[in-house]
Amino acid sequence: MPTIGASPARVDARAKVTGQAVYPADISFPGMIYGQTVRSPYAHARIVSIDTAAALQVPGVLCVLTARDIPGHNGQGVVFQDMPVLARDEVRSVNDVVALVGATTPAAARAGAARVKITYEELPALFDPVAAMQPGAPRVHPARDNIIYHLPIRKGNIEAGFAAAAVVVENTYRTQLLDHAFLQPEAAVARLDERGHLVIYVATQYVHWDRTEVARVLGWNQDRIRIVAPAVGGAFGGREDMTLQALVALLALHTRRPAKMVLSREESFLAHSKRHPMIMRYKTGATREGRLTALEAEIIGDSGAYSSWAPNILRKAAIHATGPYVIPHVKIDAYAVYTNNPFTGAMRGFGATQPPLAYESQMDELAARLGIHPFTIRWLNAFRQGDVTATGQVLESSVGLVDTMVQAARAAGWPLEQLIPGGKGE
Amino acid sequence: MSKKRGIGMACFFYGTGYGNGFPDVSTATVEIHEDGTATVRSGAVDCGQGSSTVLAQIAAAELGVPYTWVTVISADTDTTPDAGTTAATRQTYASGNAVQMACRQARETLFEYTRTLLGVNTIAGLVAREGFIYVKSYPAKQIPYPEAATRARLAGYRLVGQGSFVTHTTAVDRETGQGAPYWPYAFGTQIAEVEVDTETGQVQVLKLVAAHDVGRAVNRQGVEGQIAGGIGQGVGMALLEKVHLQEGRIVNNSFSTYLIPTTMDMPEVEPLIVESHEPTGPFGAKGVGEPATIPTVPAIINAIYNAVGVHITELPVTPEKILAALKEKDGGTKE
Repeated sequence: MPTIGASPARVDARAKVTGQAVYPADISFPGMIYGQTVRSPYAHARIVSIDTAAALQVPGVLCVLTARDIPGHNGQGVVFQDMPVLARDEVRSVNDVVALVGATTPAAARAGAARVKITYEELPALFDPVAAMQPGAPRVHPARDNIIYHLPIRKGNIEAGFAAAAVVVENTYRTQLLDHAFLQPEAAVARLDERGHLVIYVATQYVHWDRTEVARVLGWNQDRIRIVAPAVGGAFGGREDMTLQALVALLALHTRRPAKMVLSREESFLAHSKRHPMIMRYKTGATREGRLTALEAEIIGDSGAYSSWAPNILRKAAIHATGPYVIPHVKIDAYAVYTNNPFTGAMRGFGATQPPLAYESQMDELAARLGIHPFTIRWLNAFRQGDVTATGQVLESSVGLVDTMVQAARAAGWPLEQLIPGGKGE
Repeated sequence: MSKKRGIGMACFFYGTGYGNGFPDVSTATVEIHEDGTATVRSGAVDCGQGSSTVLAQIAAAELGVPYTWVTVISADTDTTPDAGTTAATRQTYASGNAVQMACRQARETLFEYTRTLLGVNTIAGLVAREGFIYVKSYPAKQIPYPEAATRARLAGYRLVGQGSFVTHTTAVDRETGQGAPYWPYAFGTQIAEVEVDTETGQVQVLKLVAAHDVGRAVNRQGVEGQIAGGIGQGVGMALLEKVHLQEGRIVNNSFSTYLIPTTMDMPEVEPLIVESHEPTGPFGAKGVGEPATIPTVPAIINAIYNAVGVHITELPVTPEKILAALKEKDGGTKE
């Protein structure tokens, strides 16, 4: 009965199948209040004025918080703190939260939010990352170039690589803006405990990072902030950036009452990051036998209005742009670009999920042009132990790629003896 | 016959972990109680993917006690140490290593005392398995774990351990991209079978064979669940999902207009687990969380190419795109 490799019942199986698992939305405290955001209707605008008087007249409304109510740093983000908790002078995307209403019931909070009068002066906005990259394009963030990050990868001699190719395939691929669509929309509860410490229950991917971010926004010491993740209903990268953490904290501190926020599915779409849409220009060359000689790729990722993980994600896209193949001559350029679109960030695969559309389509087109089977062209070029990636990294151990190829092909009923050059597996 | 079938293949590699030289650290602690059960503390958030289960399995295997003797406390900044984020396919590898290190330390403390009870001259001469500690190559001489733990504690030993594991990577050069940015790498191959209706442009994914090199499957059902879920998200990305914007505003922010796959859209999934054994991983494990979804889109795209001879380059592959591509391929004339 070895424990490793078995499938014992999950530690949370009983709680989940009986419905007893506690998600943040299930948590309540006496005297708890509810929060409702007011988000920007514009992709880019100057905030001229915020009038909270009518909202504060709504029965049950206790407070309307704006940027001036933030005691610490009004910025959050995993790499750069370029996303305000509450927008102050300017909104850069329709995700931006401008005001936060606290009330004794969710309905009162919504009614209050509908009565917050914000006057905007709409400004020109950038929606196309290629346009945003051009010299002279208006900056989304005055202090930073729209090109947040650029990674070039250079290996060998790209001209020589294409000169050695018998066939070259060139295409441009485009992936789309995607939502994580996790089952449980954002939910969080904050309260001050008997020590005066702030406790936040939230569906998140990283409690210790949330503590760092909340402490910075509040200007508090970290030892007085406790973050707890109860059951989490899926994440897929969509819970890496702050959504409700600082908002419930501000409400609890301002009112000295427990504060809760649970997003509707509709608002959940607005609140968290998305998968980077990528434009991928690819040029791939191979010999008549099907050996890859050269790959040139330009990848542009739309980060939207805030950076989130953009540098890390486009780095990952660049490093994985070759696919799992030995290619002697490589030229790759990956760019992360600010626009006024909803911000993008981590999502399952983190920048390495988009390039396979390109590199694997290229492989099948090369195979078709050369008249060889898709399995065979991959077999000829696949990483084996000891091979070197486009970044010069030696794959020293645990390189099971060709084993997965053989097992998958066998399960699909492909005639391996005909597809493997030489007729034998390894 | 307007329905045409095709088969498509896609391979991938995926560097797990934060990468690029960033401090990718996970810390865990463990305490063995006098009855032989143990409490593991790790900051790792289980987002539903099953990390707490995997960490309990790793702890049980390293301590040498049954799985049901281990409790994992997780995801609380007041009571658990920082394990890093649940992302980058890193919790089985990084936190698994941290838990294994912590458990090894606690077990070796227990062994230091137990060896005197069993008359062994070094802890290397002891083995713990399923709640018993016995002499290596002489299993008849053994002691139940609870008895050893109780006596060790009475002798003043405290059976605690802590492990901090750092995944080794280096930053890539900013001019050339050269370096060793990730470790370990996951690999895999998926083969999709699709049916394309050339009259309506509709694509049905019939089957996905998914072979993934996970190093070592700590929890086989967990790996298979990740593969099925990853394929579900891949089918959505390939055929259905797109957030539509108008002037930067999301217009389809509900599940009636943002379509994700239902069970009716799911293909038959045949998961195949390949175990290449990663020497730096806990019991040889790497990870499967993100990799499961990565090759699904190109496998489907290549299957469509195989079925009807058109390569769609822009996602998602809507029926309109299929029909337009077929029309262009046929030189603007209808069949």
